[in-house]
Amino acid sequence: MPERPRDPDDLFAERVARVLGRPESFGDDFETSLVAAIRADRPIRFRLVPRARRFSRAWWKTPASIRISPIAATLLLAAGVAALAVVGTLQSNRRGVTDPYSVATTAPVHDTVTLVRFVFVGRAKSVSLVGDFNRWGAEPVPLIGANGVWTASIPLPNGRHEYAFIVDGAHWTLDPLAPSSSDEFDTKSSIVTVGT
Amino acid sequence: MPNRIGDAAAVPGSPISVHDRSDPDLVAAAARGNVDAFAELSRRYRDTYSRFAVRMVGDRDEAEDVMQSAFIRAYRAMDQCRDPNRFGAWLYQIVANECRSWVIRRNRRGRRIVRDEIQLRDAPAVLSGDGDETLEDVQYALQQLDADQREAFLMKHVEQLSYEEMAEITGDGISALKMRVKRACARLRLLLEEVHDA
Repeated sequence: MPERPRDPDDLFAERVARVLGRPESFGDDFETSLVAAIRADRPIRFRLVPRARRFSRAWWKTPASIRISPIAATLLLAAGVAALAVVGTLQSNRRGVTDPYSVATTAPVHDTVTLVRFVFVGRAKSVSLVGDFNRWGAEPVPLIGANGVWTASIPLPNGRHEYAFIVDGAHWTLDPLAPSSSDEFDTKSSIVTVGT
Repeated sequence: MPNRIGDAAAVPGSPISVHDRSDPDLVAAAARGNVDAFAELSRRYRDTYSRFAVRMVGDRDEAEDVMQSAFIRAYRAMDQCRDPNRFGAWLYQIVANECRSWVIRRNRRGRRIVRDEIQLRDAPAVLSGDGDETLEDVQYALQQLDADQREAFLMKHVEQLSYEEMAEITGDGISALKMRVKRACARLRLLLEEVHDA
């Protein structure tokens, strides 16, 4: 019986993996520096980006009322501004991810998610939402636009979230109504805090 | 040569080197603040993850910094290691998270936006697909993947983990991991094979 041809994707992956599979190692200086850093109680250099959480499919079945903040309603009348409104609180059955490491470094996980509506007002061909909740553009959320008003609603857990709008696929735009922050690389983003 | 603390207690005056202690013993000692015990754990495991870190980060010196940060986090969270017999897997979670976060933050700094396949198809190929790729070229192509795809490809094809092991480390579902590996392969192929004829 003739040998079954192998999947080209597997062959390609093997070829690439052979190249990447060359060993890499650090010398004993690694432990010397590590011990010195631990004993000096030096701060950890990087702030972690949390992994996206999985939500139960049931969250979307729960009806939610919609309300717009007075500020957002007023500013929707002006051109070229973005506004944010919290539309409701839903209970969700979240499947927790067992991660003993994250317990030590993040706030406790709650079982409440809030449907947050992001609104951008302005002239554009496309507007997307990126943030720490979608891995900063790995899966950007497209806003739906009509007559210069672009909206998208996504569920977010309680806590602090950073985000920005990408206008016409190229322009990183902050929300002028939201507070902003800069990371250690001076990249600015807008902040929304959900819940208490 | 005794390899457990209990054995040493039965042999007074017999010193036990950290090199001879089991992982659970070292984990317990490190959780009590024994830095030398943790250093021995680091010696045992750093080479296991150094290649993964270097490939994820793309730069050896930066990868060493990232590994240092990961190991410091691990030391400070030693009491969270619920199964000392699986310290290696627990440590891998921390290293993977640290590498992934570093990649995401570096991409944010460059305001890199991950686009769809259409944009990637229009990007120039790194080199021709003659099967003789250098590490630098393949590493370059790997850097064009987003953090999740890069991590999934490395874990599956370079570190030879099963999807079950990958799910345990990342906390993600097996279906999602399979899709990431598949997409990573497709993107790498676009970058490493010849461009379409003009």
